[in-house]
Amino acid sequence: MNDPAPPKITRLSELPREIAPPHDGWPALEARLRESRRPQAAVEAPQSGGATPARYRRPQLMRIVSLAAVLAAVLVGVSIDRWILSPAHPIPPSVTIQHVGSSGGGMTVAYVTDPRYVREREALLRSLNVRLAKLPPPTRKKVLQSLATIHQSMQQIQQALGREPGNALLQELLIDTYQDEMQVLSTVQEASGGAGET
Amino acid sequence: MVPAAQSDCIEWEASLVQRARGGDVRAFERLYRDHIGSVYGLCLRMTRDPAAAEDCAQEAFFNAWRALERFETRSSLGTWLHRIAVNVVLNRRRKRAAQVELPPLAAGPGEEPADPPEEWTLDTPIEVHEIETAVGDLPDGARDALVLCGIYGYSHGEASQMLGIAEGTCKAQLHRARALLRARLEPESQRL
Repeated sequence: MNDPAPPKITRLSELPREIAPPHDGWPALEARLRESRRPQAAVEAPQSGGATPARYRRPQLMRIVSLAAVLAAVLVGVSIDRWILSPAHPIPPSVTIQHVGSSGGGMTVAYVTDPRYVREREALLRSLNVRLAKLPPPTRKKVLQSLATIHQSMQQIQQALGREPGNALLQELLIDTYQDEMQVLSTVQEASGGAGET
Repeated sequence: MVPAAQSDCIEWEASLVQRARGGDVRAFERLYRDHIGSVYGLCLRMTRDPAAAEDCAQEAFFNAWRALERFETRSSLGTWLHRIAVNVVLNRRRKRAAQVELPPLAAGPGEEPADPPEEWTLDTPIEVHEIETAVGDLPDGARDALVLCGIYGYSHGEASQMLGIAEGTCKAQLHRARALLRARLEPESQRL
């Protein structure tokens, strides 16, 4: 049996631009990124100390520190290490992907299911306006901008998950986004006088 | 006007970049997976060595991660990554100094190709692997220009910036690359 003739081309631009590498280089790169980020993180938020407690979730420290770096500049009087190390650190969310709607139609949605997390988030969101009112206007503006960005990301990831419901990376991104939101809300709570004031 | 789907895609990528800047490794993974094929392809064609290309692509993404703050989300992430990858390959080449660089060619009168890179065609259809091999056999300078302009569609200005050479030199290198390719790939009987 004859093999089909290999394709022939006359233009260089017809050559494929993308070539798959022989190995998945991501795991090695990821390890390198995480390694390289640590000293930088320590510089960004020196108050968080040099040691990294083992109880941190793997990607969280970097996000917390980077968020902290943004918020630290505006939240006067907030001890960054206090909210990072607080034992009442936000409950990590879990995400459920479900197909809703009638047979054959409907859409795929992702939502957070842990009831403790949902309750905590709802409480923080309910008290947000009151707490924001206690902050200086520039700080308030920064917080609202951060939350708007986070909510926009959530929406985009939700839409992407609708197209690729099985994508584990997107699911993790969504969880990360909820965590980012929770950290901003917790910081606002701390900065405006703690949980007991609502 | 940018089509809606393309605009969504740019926004999505911009939001991933934003997240990656904040230290979100998962967002960066997504960007990596979207662009690794193109970055590796470019590195492979410039280095002609799969292992070196993997190293260069890895280094390019690592450098990109560290330089994300400097990336402007309104520009093309793919182009930015290519620029970084070209730098990595050129630095590696300089360090190794395994190959003696030919002196850059000046663009003499009559040497500059009048047509843009993508318009150039071979007279006879050639198998892909044959072209890739012929491209791989070109001298470094000529190959770099050909890969960037001919395969990845960059203008002479963009390619010369990436390569750190004068635009005229880039044009001359491309002209030279085409001449060498034509000589290699097209039978003499077909050449006039």
